[in-house]
Amino acid sequence: MPTVTTDPIVLSTLLAELSLRQLPCGGWAALASSSQPAIEPTCYSALVLCSAPVGDSERAQDFLLHTQNPNGSWPVFPGDDQEGGWVTSLAVMSLFDLVPAIPARLKGLHWLVSCVGREGNWFWKWKFRTADRHVRFDPDKFGWPWFPDTVSWVVPTAFSILALNQLPCSCGGLEKVPFRVERGVEMLLDRACDGGGWNAGNGVVYGTALAPHPDDTAIALLALSDRGQHPIVQNGVQYLERLAPTLTAPWSLSWAILALAAHRQPIARLHRSLVALRDLVSIEDTSTLALVCLALDFGRTLSALGVGQ
Amino acid sequence: MSFTRRDFLIGSAALAAGTTVTAPFLLPKYHSDQRPKRSRVAILHAQQYSQQLDQILAAGLRLFPIDVRGKTVVLKPNLVDYIPGNAINTHPLLVLAAAESFRRVGAKSVVVAEGPGHQRDTQMVLSQSGYEQCLRDERIRFVDLNRDELIRTPLRASYTGMKHLWLPRTVLETDFLVSMPKIKTHHWSGVTLSMKNMFGVVPGARYGWPKNILHWKGIQESILDLCATVPVHFVIADGIVAMEGNGPLNGTARPLGNIVLADDPVAADAACARLMGFEPGRIVHIRESSRFLGNSSPVTIDQVAEAVVSPATPFRVVPEFRYLHMQ
Repeated sequence: MPTVTTDPIVLSTLLAELSLRQLPCGGWAALASSSQPAIEPTCYSALVLCSAPVGDSERAQDFLLHTQNPNGSWPVFPGDDQEGGWVTSLAVMSLFDLVPAIPARLKGLHWLVSCVGREGNWFWKWKFRTADRHVRFDPDKFGWPWFPDTVSWVVPTAFSILALNQLPCSCGGLEKVPFRVERGVEMLLDRACDGGGWNAGNGVVYGTALAPHPDDTAIALLALSDRGQHPIVQNGVQYLERLAPTLTAPWSLSWAILALAAHRQPIARLHRSLVALRDLVSIEDTSTLALVCLALDFGRTLSALGVGQ
Repeated sequence: MSFTRRDFLIGSAALAAGTTVTAPFLLPKYHSDQRPKRSRVAILHAQQYSQQLDQILAAGLRLFPIDVRGKTVVLKPNLVDYIPGNAINTHPLLVLAAAESFRRVGAKSVVVAEGPGHQRDTQMVLSQSGYEQCLRDERIRFVDLNRDELIRTPLRASYTGMKHLWLPRTVLETDFLVSMPKIKTHHWSGVTLSMKNMFGVVPGARYGWPKNILHWKGIQESILDLCATVPVHFVIADGIVAMEGNGPLNGTARPLGNIVLADDPVAADAACARLMGFEPGRIVHIRESSRFLGNSSPVTIDQVAEAVVSPATPFRVVPEFRYLHMQ
């Protein structure tokens, strides 16, 4: 793991701002100007605050436990329809290490195992093989959708793999976990862009190679941190190494730092670039603010995500 | 011929079954006819993106009897992704010109709002596409519709079969919504114009990147449900440099030299389609929306400023959409 010293004043200022944005219900809203709590920013913030001496992480965890759907999944925000969605994997990860949350995490993991991209079904597999071939992908290699009843995409698949990899064993009805994780890994490798890296999940459409995105690439690389020798993973790392020094958007830069650190690449320069970005404390998007904190404290973050150990 | 009570019952049952089966196909899928009696379209010539767009647009808006004094205005550009050299997004100078024009005629506030469909890092797209600097310089607020507060919104049409969508508060509560598409071909829907541009209001945080549920429910059907539910009050379409071929991301830039203004999205899209060399009636969402949402026939459209002239060489499309070309 690379070692980088973080300016404690920068981090503490950002942590204080994050703490200020916590809503009375315990959750965080997606935007600083909003009062509608949402699961994604709450998960990132809970991951930050569980190891920081500010904020009320207990209230954040209570909020997450109380918003879980009866089927084990998490909604995108309280009051959402109860079908569940991609944030389930984030919620499961951010409740890590919390003993009273074990039953909720298990329910969440069961839901994740049962949630399959549509191409996992034989009918859609057949359709994608015969009639609908404009997007190049192998429907045998499926992962997780953003929401039930749609196909697999890179980010929800990567987050689900990270969540399922936190399981110490695949027992108690979770015997399918290794199979799902392996299929998910295959799916990520299949959906990589030709020149290295990942976008949402469309490498080639209508015969045209599409460009990768740094954040999608980084999240995929985190999920593939134990496959560092695979040529596709190495291509992804190289793409991110080339691109990361040019990034000025804190969201993508933070993800890049986490992914490159997980793959044991030097990140000191990126770290300095992140700290030097102006107005970090006034970032409107709370998920981004929390993610910057996670990137500045990348060692602890990777440990919480269970990668790069 | 005798007609028994048994025959009557069997006949009635058959009629009821037939009605049940066929009714969904015969009944209209829209809740109300929202068409204006007449619509107005203005085509303005503009050869390049420059500061002069301010004057061109201000003059164009005067051709419409719109009153935004004291109203909140949301400008919804098409801001999808950034690929160097590709004419993907509505040009920021056109958006700035629109903001300035609406401010000048008394709008209470002007906000630019979009939820990019491919990129989760909205700030990166804003920065790379030149929006960030422009909006900061002109002190125009941007709202990321992918992460805005959401309101459960019943759909006012049933082409997809969905009953509701979660839609952003900023869009639902504005007084005056302006769709500002880039005129482009699209490999899944044929074209992407002011109505398809409304996909950007569907929040990624709720529906994913891309907003895959809309593809599964049918792109044309989703456009219809969305536009029936979220009224577009005005259109300013960027056709100065358009896109043809494998749009919406990887097509080729096609200089068209036009800005299309309209007070009806259906009329706007029909005009844009003609400017591209397409027959509007062959584009499913334009044809269907002209039954309840707006006007596509030249008979019900007041054409002001320049005339609609179809190009000698129509826009190139992927093979599946060659039937759109006018004969």
